[in-house]
Order: sequence, then structure tokens, then C-alpha cells
Amino acid sequence: MIPCLMTPRLTLVAMGAMLTSVACSRGTETRGSADSAGVAKATGAPANVAGTRIGAPRTTAAGEWQMPAGDYASSRFSDLAQITPANAANLKASWTFSTGVLRGHEGQPLVVSNTMYLVTPYPNVSYAIDLTQAGQPLKWKFRPENAQAATGVACCDVVNRGAAYADGKIFYNLLDGHTVGVDAATGKQLWRTRMADLNRGETITMAPIVVKGKVLVGSSGGEMGVRGWLGAIDATTGKEVWRGYNTGSDRDVKVGPRFKPFYPQDTGKDLGLTSWPGETWKQGGAAVWGWLSYDPELNLVYYGTSNPGPWNEGVRKGDNKWSCAIMARDADTGELVWAIQITPHDMWDYDTVNENILVDLPLGGTTRKALVHFDRNGYGYTIDRATGEVLVAQPFVQMNWSTGVDMKTGRPQVVPEKMTQEGKLVKDICPSLEGGKNQQPAAFSPRTGLFYVPTNNLCMDFEVRPVSYIPGTPYIGANAPEKKGPGGHGGEFIAWDATTGKKVWGIEEPFPVWGGALATAGGVVFYGTLDGWFKAVDASSGKELWKFKVGSGVVGNPIAYLGPDGKQYIAVYSGIGGDMGLLIAGDVAANLPYDVRERGSTLPDLARWTSWGGMLFVFSL
Amino acid sequence: MRATHILLGTFCLLGAATAAAFARQGTPPNAAQADSLRFVAHPEHIPPGFTSHDRPLALRNPFEGNANARKIGSQLYISYNCIDCHGADGSGAMGPSLADGRWHFGGTPGELFESIYQGRPDGMPAWGGRIANDQIWSLITYIQSLSAGKDVATENFTGRTVERTGH
Repeated sequence: MIPCLMTPRLTLVAMGAMLTSVACSRGTETRGSADSAGVAKATGAPANVAGTRIGAPRTTAAGEWQMPAGDYASSRFSDLAQITPANAANLKASWTFSTGVLRGHEGQPLVVSNTMYLVTPYPNVSYAIDLTQAGQPLKWKFRPENAQAATGVACCDVVNRGAAYADGKIFYNLLDGHTVGVDAATGKQLWRTRMADLNRGETITMAPIVVKGKVLVGSSGGEMGVRGWLGAIDATTGKEVWRGYNTGSDRDVKVGPRFKPFYPQDTGKDLGLTSWPGETWKQGGAAVWGWLSYDPELNLVYYGTSNPGPWNEGVRKGDNKWSCAIMARDADTGELVWAIQITPHDMWDYDTVNENILVDLPLGGTTRKALVHFDRNGYGYTIDRATGEVLVAQPFVQMNWSTGVDMKTGRPQVVPEKMTQEGKLVKDICPSLEGGKNQQPAAFSPRTGLFYVPTNNLCMDFEVRPVSYIPGTPYIGANAPEKKGPGGHGGEFIAWDATTGKKVWGIEEPFPVWGGALATAGGVVFYGTLDGWFKAVDASSGKELWKFKVGSGVVGNPIAYLGPDGKQYIAVYSGIGGDMGLLIAGDVAANLPYDVRERGSTLPDLARWTSWGGMLFVFSL
Repeated sequence: MRATHILLGTFCLLGAATAAAFARQGTPPNAAQADSLRFVAHPEHIPPGFTSHDRPLALRNPFEGNANARKIGSQLYISYNCIDCHGADGSGAMGPSLADGRWHFGGTPGELFESIYQGRPDGMPAWGGRIANDQIWSLITYIQSLSAGKDVATENFTGRTVERTGH
């Protein structure tokens, strides 16, 4: 019996009458303007912005967090509303937990039935924490077998972006290419399936989602000459059910009669072969290392693909489908239903793996089923998630490689001087290969109608060099030193209106904002910074309400949950690392006597403010 | 496909017979065939009082100090994709720094040779038998030049940075 929690508190804020909403965990969220109006009338709670709703209704209790982004829509929105702009200054650390591991703590914990589940960076230990007891003792700890060689194959730190819960089981990926299903009550491994091949340069860092009894996973390795795919595993048996590749023949890509891309350049037979010279599609990248979303009404799984391999574009003339693309596949069969290539013939390592947030938005006088995607290439896209039509595409960061997206074709118009090629040193390309945004996920609030986006302000030089494919070694063929962009700040946390393609407010940060966002019904948005600040800001104005210096830089994503005591808690990992923390900052863990690096010049100051660590922080009023 | 990188010193560098050497020292227990196991010397791993019946090898870099070999090594460092794991100028990337004078598996020429030849557990591929030994020595000549004169012990935040790390 899921309790229905009522917090009928009236709180006046300077802006007007902002009232806390009823956080009633009946399992269905406020849906449509009619319901919102009804709720608003009963309690004075704020309604959703007219015509706005999260695209995949939450089917789990508001006080829990059962999948990486909280819901299938990837909204990272919590209905909990006890924490408000009026009281956020009173937030304090409630408890902490050391994960026992260093390296980048990307991802987020889960909370199900008063138990918190964590997954660490390699070696991908998982913990179940009992939230009902003082001191938060463990229920279990699972230490999977996990090949050591994986640590030297993963390009960008040995991170893990989290687990998913379904049907009494926890599912997550191991760096060495396995997916595991673990009994949530006992921590016993139920099955272990090898999905990715370490010998071919594949590792796995992404967080799976579970859709209709299938665990959906993809791999990393766009810098290792892999061939990307999305796979489905039966959650009960651990057997692979289907796998759709992102390069190759229509049969491999699972292009069939249902495939209806919106744009003419995306139609044709075997485009995953013909848009590549010779057999270069076999090392074509297009890996699925980012976030997955799912629309239960359309029965479509959405994801983006990585850069094409190698970075040396001369090796692979052609559009290179389906790298740098947003793909929509049927959740049952894996059939490709639509696709749009966001950056054809990528020359800048602008992966398209960032999350696709499913929202219904008012556009052109009507409500459109959309997805919103903040791409590495610097454009914030609003796309019809039923058809793949681009509705809005505007820069959300400073950029100079493109003058705009042609709305007739969905293709970016490229500035010739910023095209990269062998024999040419191209200087000052913005955004850098780290993108306007990288793996750090944005959040959406239907209350404000705004997206909360952690962004980077980085530019790069890019010099292509010859490269040979040697299996098990990187397949890159370019040097790309980076620096901070115009203005000198490293990043900015912004609020974005996806109906107009405009930034509403922004908080400049000294370093790229490499941690994810959380939006809450109380009107407070949370995010963490590389230099170790965990912050609460007003969702409407961006005013900073509170911050706390956690033990190590934040590259993970906060969640909100309801404790057994009925209080709202905010949990986030601290533990710097990931691509920014390791490769770009050039800093390493202090416990490696054989690896004492000098700092990189891109973020030389970062190591003054943070060192490596691994801890969960939990905050409450 | 990548050869297994978990070789544990079981390679034969020289084919020369060692029967005479064994005869001089007396036959050790469980004597192996005369032309099979030859190990690179690791005197630092021999506790005091241990005697070794084997005549271990001391590997020396035939190109030590050779500027031409260093130049070739710097080119091979890129061709073999070392640069993408170990960083430009050995600054470190997904693999450890080679420019800090600190070594996981030893920094003498012989130990560097073994690491490149055999591979190492955290994902360093085994290059032995796939590229010529001379190329390995050229790489080592280059690698040893990277840490020359460096002192990384103290990190002063007004001090040195490397121009390019990572990608």
C-alpha cells in the first residue's frame, strides 16, 4: 500500500502565490491541464504550464527513483515539493556513504522500497543500503567479476552511469562488456551476459533501462573503432533477444517497411553501407554510450549514436550513417522506425548520445509530442518524437562551426573554415569536442516549462593526422587541444525554453558543469560542479538558494526521494573523474604512485579545488 | 586480434645454449630444457639470501642515447596509437603517464622492453612478435627522453602545466 503523502503547506514567495504541490504517490502524475487545474483548485498547488506535460507518465511512486532518469521520459523531475525556495537555505547534510572506489562517479543511485542502490565506477561494485535504520547499514554488497583489461580500453575514465530496477531485480552494465541481473533483495547475481567484446575495443559505461521485460543496453568505443548497436536482453533469463546495429546493411540496422525518416536524405536502401567508403562502416563507431528514453504510447525507444570512427574524416568520406544520429526503435522488435542524422559526416567528435527528454510542448498553437535534445554540436533541438521532424534548433552555447540548421532538411550548415581535414590545423572551433553539453543530463520541469541544462564553454584546435586501425588500440587520428571559450568561464548552468529555443537565465561557473540536473515540484533545481559545490537554485529565477562543498567534484546526477520518515531527501555522488576530470584536467587519483601527471593547461586551477574521491552525500531540511 | 596480454615472462630472447652455464652452477631442481626459459634480471625482487640457479639476462637498450632512434620512436609512438592511450608527450590519458619518472612495472630499459613486449594487465597490448624488437627499442629511447629532468613530486599551483592532455 503506497502511502499518499499530503504536505498542505502554504508558502508565499516574492514572485506571487507559489504553493507547494501535493506530493501524492499514487503512481500517476498530474496529467494534462485539466487534472492540473483540478489539483490546483483543491490545494492551490501550481499547475503545469498550459499544454506542457512530461511525455511518458511516471508509473512509479513519486518518492522513489527506479530508473536512471526517474522516468522513461528522462525528465529528471521529482514531484516531491517539501523543499522550496523559501526553505532551501536550511538544507543540511543528513548522511554520507563512502563507495570504497575512486574514479569518476557519474550516474545516480536508485531508491526502491526504502532501499537505496548504488553502482560504483570500475570494478562496478553495487550496494543496497537500508534506509530504515539509523546509520544506513548495508543489506548487501555485490562484487562482480570484471576483467581488469577493461580499465585500459575505456577511453574516458572507468565510469558507470547507473542501474535500473524492475520486477525485484537490479540491472546494470560492467565496464568489461557484461550486463548483470541481480536480485534486489539478496544481491545474488541471477544472470550475467556478455554483450560487448573487449578485444574489439568495446566497453560499457551506459545505464540500461528496462522496457516490457527487456533490458536495453549499448556499448562504448567510438574512439576504438567499434561498430555500435543497441541490444535487448530478456530480464528474466538474461538471453539476448535482439540487437540493432547502427552501421551496416538494412538487415543489420533493422531497417524494414516501417522505417519512415522525416527527411529525404535519410531515405534509401542500405544507407548504413552506402554512406561509407568500402568497409569502413565496420569500424564506424556510432556507439550507444549515452542515455535511453522510452514512450510507452508510441512504443518507441529513443537514443543517440556516437561519433563515427576515426576522427580523421578523410578515411570515411560520406555521410557516415548512422553516426551522430537520433534513432527511434520499436521496443518489442528493435525495428528502426525513424532516424535523423544530427551531424552528418562529423568532423569534430560531436557525438549525438546526449539524452532525449520526452515532453509534450505547446508549439505553433498546438501541443506537439516532442523530444528535446541538447547536442554536443551546440544546438538545442526540439523534435517531433513521432516522426523525427525538427521543430526548433537553436544554439544553447557559443558556437562558430555552423551558421544554423536548415529547417527544410534538418542538416546543419557548416562554416567551411571550421571543417577539419588532414594537412590543416583548424583553430578555435566552438564548441570543443566535449560539446556544448556532454554526458551530464538536463532536467525538465512541467511547472515552469523550462529545461535545466548543465553546459560547457570550451573551444578547441583540431589537427587531423594519419591513423591505422590496430584492433584493441584507439582509432582516432587527430589531436584536439582545448581551452575555455569566450568569456573565460568554463561552463554555465542554464534554463532553456524549448518552444522558442532561447536561454531564459544562466549561472556562469568557472569550470564546465559536468554534473547532471534535478528539477523538483517545490520549485528548486539542483546540480553539482566540478570544483565540488552542490547547489540549489530557484527554478524560475536561477537565484542561488544554498550550496555545500562536497568531498570531491560532482560528475553525477542528483535524485530526490522520500525517506521512511516522510521527509524529502536529495542524494548525489561526489567523486571527480570522467572525461573532463581525468583526460582534460590531467589530474589523477593520489593513490597511484606510478601515475603522477602534470596538470593540463585547459583547467589548470581545478586540482586546487578538488581531488579524487568517492562518496554519496544525502541532504535534507 | 589482440594477443593475450597475460604473459608472465615465458619468452626466449636468446637461443644460445646454456648447458655450460648450468653445469658450472650445478643442476637446479626441476631443471628445464637448456634452451627454453630465460628470464630478464630483476635483482630488486630477489630477497636477501635467495640464491638463483638461473643465469638471468640483463637487457640493454642498443640505441641508448641515439637521437635518430629517439626520433623514430617518437614517430612510432603515433603510428602505433601509443599517443591516444598514453597522451601526447606521454602526459597520460586512459593509460598512465610515461613522462613522470614513475613506473608501474619498472622503468629500466629491460623492464620497459618487457612491458611493451608482453603487455600488462590493465589493457596494455602485447606488441612482442608483432613489431620488430628494434622498433620497441626505438620507442623506449623516446619514452625515456620524456621524463628526463622532470621532478613531479611537488605540485605548486602557480607552476607548470602540460599544454595538451587527453584527446
